[in-house]
Amino acid sequence: MDSLISAAAQALAAGDPLGALNRVALRDDPPALALRGIAMARLGDFGRAKALLRQAARSFGPRAVLARARCAVAEAEIALAARDLGWPTKSLAAARETLEQHGDRANAAYARSLEIRRMVLVGQLDDAERGLAELDPSPLLPAARTIYELIVAGLALRRLQTKTARSALERATRSARQARIPELQAEIERASSALSAPAARMILRGEQRLLQLDDVEALFRSDRLIVDACRLAVRQGSRIVPLARRPVLFALARRLAEGVPDGVPRAALIAHAFHGKEADESHRARLRVEIGRLRQLLHGLAEINATRDGFALVPRRDHDVVVLAQPVEDENATVLACLADGEAWSSSALALALGASQRTVQRALDELASSSKVQSFGRGRAQRWTCPVVPEFATALLLPAWSSLD
Amino acid sequence: MTRAAAEIIHEYGPFDDAGRVNGVSYDGRQVWIATGSSIKAFDPADGTVRKSLDLPSHAGTAFDGRHLYQIAEDRIHKVDPENGRVLATIPAPSGGGDSGLAWAEGSLWVGAYRDRKIHQIDPATGEILRSIPCTRFVTGVTWVDGELWHGTWEDDVSDIRRIDPETGEVLDQLDMPAGTGVSGMESDGGETLYCGGGDSGKVRAIRRPKRVRG
Repeated sequence: MDSLISAAAQALAAGDPLGALNRVALRDDPPALALRGIAMARLGDFGRAKALLRQAARSFGPRAVLARARCAVAEAEIALAARDLGWPTKSLAAARETLEQHGDRANAAYARSLEIRRMVLVGQLDDAERGLAELDPSPLLPAARTIYELIVAGLALRRLQTKTARSALERATRSARQARIPELQAEIERASSALSAPAARMILRGEQRLLQLDDVEALFRSDRLIVDACRLAVRQGSRIVPLARRPVLFALARRLAEGVPDGVPRAALIAHAFHGKEADESHRARLRVEIGRLRQLLHGLAEINATRDGFALVPRRDHDVVVLAQPVEDENATVLACLADGEAWSSSALALALGASQRTVQRALDELASSSKVQSFGRGRAQRWTCPVVPEFATALLLPAWSSLD
Repeated sequence: MTRAAAEIIHEYGPFDDAGRVNGVSYDGRQVWIATGSSIKAFDPADGTVRKSLDLPSHAGTAFDGRHLYQIAEDRIHKVDPENGRVLATIPAPSGGGDSGLAWAEGSLWVGAYRDRKIHQIDPATGEILRSIPCTRFVTGVTWVDGELWHGTWEDDVSDIRRIDPETGEVLDQLDMPAGTGVSGMESDGGETLYCGGGDSGKVRAIRRPKRVRG
């Protein structure tokens, strides 16, 4: 470690990537290349950052295993920030093992947290939860600790565990203060705003009310029958009937729920669920079949009775049924609703689930992606789409102890 | 050449709000460490920090009996240890690629990290008087009893070596345990070498072996 490398590393740690670049811009030795790479990543130039880190790893030489492992971790972090989720996970796992073997616990734990972060982004929530439970965050330095807590919070938000999310964000605030990195503070604020922003709209007997996440959580814990248009499911207590892949059934359930306690005329149901302008005989036959299917799925939760001119939903325990909708329902809401289950969807699966053409779904996805509401990874047939309810931290690039890249 | 494992007698730190040790010096009573944004003096008897001067300190530290010298980026500052005032500044010989710093015989001796050299420079002007070739990346540098010692840290491996000041030939080598680097070094004038531990934030006291003389 020499003087300017040390000074550049210090500048980077203090949130001054330009200051770091100024000190090593003209140097091509491996530690300088690595620092330049991390600085470029902090400035948002992920392509250049990746190239510089690759070059650094190559020029460190075969015996500098630790330095090369740290470069691999930094490269993985850049891939995550650039949402290049298809990058080779094996090299990150190998780097983590190397760091563990050489006793670099801080960077090993950080590498593990990146692996978990990727799982969250690609919708492997169970794996991510298991990984988090096994990860000991104590060796993490303040910046990395903050990112770890953001991951915990993001996962908890997805699982609608607002208390867990809130305390993780409080811990993140404390460690971010120690890290003294303004970007991290901003990211925590962004994540925290998800807790107080309207998360859903509750519709009960024609009345509407906006709910925050913890209201939704409380509603789910109550004994009410809920038709959840945010996640396309019907639920009561611990019983959940997922309908994300049965959009016609969900549309019927929602329309019927909105009609409680009165029934809904056949024509209205057909228009709503089949997008049919006129209810002809074939539509009526199809409606009977679909109602039969829905009746079976909702068995124990609600009955669906035939009325003189249509059908009526009769909840078993409660007299009411709550409809939970997104605060603002845009025309791509159904796509978002499918993705809200946190899983990674292919566009063909979405088209199947929504009964829409691939083209329509693709158009919706493109629109949603351009407003950053959804993101994708993989290419061609392997491309998958997810909905990042998790906090973003694209700018939080910071390898702990990257100052020992040498 | 003799070669042995380094004998660590004592470990100090990590010290409060000092994540790193970039340089180490000794003024006869206290050990000075460069932490990046400050220079701190601690008492080697109990490890407590007695003084802290806010100064950029990215590599080696040295003491000439009255003043501290501190490498910051690509310069060497001459500092009043009482109040931290910078009294003079000269360019560092490697333009920022500098690591260790020592004072001896009216000269400053500066480790050139990746260049694998130790430069002897004029403390008034920074002019390079001569350069000693080394075989590994040089970190800390110190003189004691006419012996020139320097630390190395390359490819995650560190050691401390005594070299011939004329030829650079390695005369003694003390291997550091795996995972312990040497980022700065100073002798206490006796049998102890204080070694900075880089980003571990520690200072390690190493026993200087008695040389078989004659």
